[in-house]
Amino acid sequence: MNKNYFTGVFHDEESLVKAFDRLKEAGIKPEEVYTPYPIHAILDGMGNKTRITHAAFFYGLFAVIGLLSFMYYVSVIDWPLVFGGKPFNAFPSFIVVTIVATILVITLATLFTFSVRAKIFPGKKAEIVHPLATDDKFVMLFSDTIGKEKEEIVVNIIQEHGEVEK
Amino acid sequence: MIYKTEIRGPLIQGDKSFSQISREILAPIDAKTPLWWYFAMATSLGMLGFGLYCIYLTLATGIGSWGLNNSIGWGWAIVNFVWWIGIGHAGTAFSIFLLILRQQWRTAINRAAEAMTVVAVMCAGLFPLLHMGRPWLFFYIFPYPNTRGPLWVNFNSPLFWDFVAITAYILISASFWYFGMVPDFATIRDTTKSKIKKAVYGFFAFGWTGSSKEWLRYEGLSFVLGGIAAVLVVSVHSIVSTDFAVGVIPGWHTTIFPPYFVIGAIFSGFAMVLTLVTIMRGAYKMHDFVTDSHIDAVCRVLIFISLIMGTAYMTEIFIAWYSGSIYEYSIIFESRMFGDYAFQFWAMFTANAVIPQLFWFKAVRKRIMIVFLISIIINIGMWFERFNIVITSLSRDYLPANWANYSPSWVEVGIFVGTLGLFTAGVLMFFRYIPMIAISEVKSVAKYNKPQTNHQSGHHE
Repeated sequence: MNKNYFTGVFHDEESLVKAFDRLKEAGIKPEEVYTPYPIHAILDGMGNKTRITHAAFFYGLFAVIGLLSFMYYVSVIDWPLVFGGKPFNAFPSFIVVTIVATILVITLATLFTFSVRAKIFPGKKAEIVHPLATDDKFVMLFSDTIGKEKEEIVVNIIQEHGEVEK
Repeated sequence: MIYKTEIRGPLIQGDKSFSQISREILAPIDAKTPLWWYFAMATSLGMLGFGLYCIYLTLATGIGSWGLNNSIGWGWAIVNFVWWIGIGHAGTAFSIFLLILRQQWRTAINRAAEAMTVVAVMCAGLFPLLHMGRPWLFFYIFPYPNTRGPLWVNFNSPLFWDFVAITAYILISASFWYFGMVPDFATIRDTTKSKIKKAVYGFFAFGWTGSSKEWLRYEGLSFVLGGIAAVLVVSVHSIVSTDFAVGVIPGWHTTIFPPYFVIGAIFSGFAMVLTLVTIMRGAYKMHDFVTDSHIDAVCRVLIFISLIMGTAYMTEIFIAWYSGSIYEYSIIFESRMFGDYAFQFWAMFTANAVIPQLFWFKAVRKRIMIVFLISIIINIGMWFERFNIVITSLSRDYLPANWANYSPSWVEVGIFVGTLGLFTAGVLMFFRYIPMIAISEVKSVAKYNKPQTNHQSGHHE
C-alpha cells in the first residue's frame, strides 16, 4: 500500500472513543478505524449501514417459496403417491423440511453476501495498516488529502489521547 | 443489557492488557507440543484405527456383524447417533442461547463448545450412514431427478427430515464456528514470528483487518446466524425425536418427546462442555479466562436442566399408568423399570436426575475434580437414556412372539470406540492449533468493569 496516509494509534477503547468524539465535533471523520474487537460507538459514528439483515430476510422468503413449490411439484404434479392416507399435498408435514432447509439457505447465502460485501474471502491478502490493530492497538486512518489545515486539527486531537504515526 | 458485572464480578481474572490476553490464549499454539498431547493423540488414533477396522468388517460382512435381530433393528448405532447429536447440540446452544440472553461470560467457553459440536456431529453422522448397510448408495437420499424412475424421497418421513436437519446442522455450526475464528486467525497472523504460521493462519484469516466496515457486517452476520441458529438448535433435536415419536411403538409414541429430547441434548452437551473446559483449564492453565465462576455458572445451569429431566422421567412413568394403555404400562413398568433392562433405566435415572442435584452444594461446585466426575457421570447417564428409549421399546412389541433381547456385538462396540477416538483426536487438534478461547470476544468484555465513558455504558446491543 502506498504511504499516502497517516494514522492515529490509541492504546485503549476509551481514548479512541474520546478522540473520535472530539474529531466528530470538529466535523472530521477518519477514513477508517481498525480495532481488535467491535466498538459500537465507532460503528455508529462512522455512519456506515449494513443491510445484511434485510438480505437475509429476502433469502429466507425466496427459500420458503422455492422449497414449498418444489415439494408441491414433486408430490402433486410429477409423481403423486399416497403416504399413509395423506393428501398428495400433505402441507403441514412439509413444514419441517421447509424450516430447516430455509435456515440452511439463509446461512449459506448470508455468509456469501458477507464475504462479498466485506471482501473477506479465502486467499485474500490483508491490507495491513497497523500490524497490531488485531492485537491491542486501536487505529484511525486518515488520508493525506484532507488538507493542511484539517491535518493540524486532527494531529492535535490525536496527540492528546494517543500517538500519530506517519 | 440484563446482567451488569456487579452480579458476576470481573469476567477474567488478573488485570490483563489486550496483548497479554492474545499472548496467553495463543501460548499453546506457539509453545512446543507437550508430551501428554502425543500420548493422548496416539491413544485416540489407536481407538480410531480400531473403529475403522470395525467399519471395514461391517462393510465387508454386512450389518449381520452387529448384534441386531428381527425385533431390534436399531441397536447401538442409533443409540450412539442420538447420543452424539445430543452432545453436538450444546456448542451451538451454548453460543446462541447465551448470546440471545446477553450472557457475557459465554465468551470464554463458546469457542470450545462450538469446536466440540462440529466434531460430535461428524461422529453422529457416521452411524446412520453405516446403518444404511450400503453407504455408497447414500446419495439416494438426496431429492434429485434421476434415472431410477420417479424415485423422489418421501417428504413426510421423519427419516428424511432427519437427514435434512443433520446436514443443515453440521454446515451451519461449522460455518458459525469458523467465522467466529476469522478475527482470531488475523491476530495470530499479525503477532506470530513464524513465517509458516503467518502464511497458514493468514490464509485462513481471509484478509481480515478489523476495520469498522468489516466489524459492522460481521456483527450483522452474527445477529442473523445467531437468530436463525437458535431455531435450528430446537428444531434439529425435535426432528430426531420424531424418528421415534411418529412411530406407533409403545414408549416412543408420546407427545413429550420433542421437548424431552431437546432438553436432554442440551443437558448432555453442557455436561460435555464442562468436561472439556475443566480439562482445558487444567492442561493449559486457562484459569484466568475460565474462572471458578464460569464453572459455577455451568453447574447451576445443569441443576436446572437436571430437574427438567427428572420431571420428564416422572411424567413418562405417570402417563404410562394414567393413560390406562396396557402397552405403555408394560413397556415402562415391566420392561424399563423392573424388567430385563432395569439396570439401564436406573442408571439413567440416578445419573441424570439424582446425582446432578449435588450441584446445589457450593462445596461440590467449587471442587473441580468432583465437578469433572459428575460431568462424566451425566454423559454416561445420557447414553443410558438413549439405550433405554431405543432398545427397550423394540424388545417388547405388541406381539409376544416378537419379543427378543439385544446385546451388541464387539463390532458395534468397536465402532463406538472409534468415534470416541475421532472425537478426542478432533478436540486435541483443536487444543493444539486453534485459539481455544475467542480472543476478540474476550477482549471486548475484558475492560468491562473499568470506569467507563458515556459511550460504553450506553452500549447498545
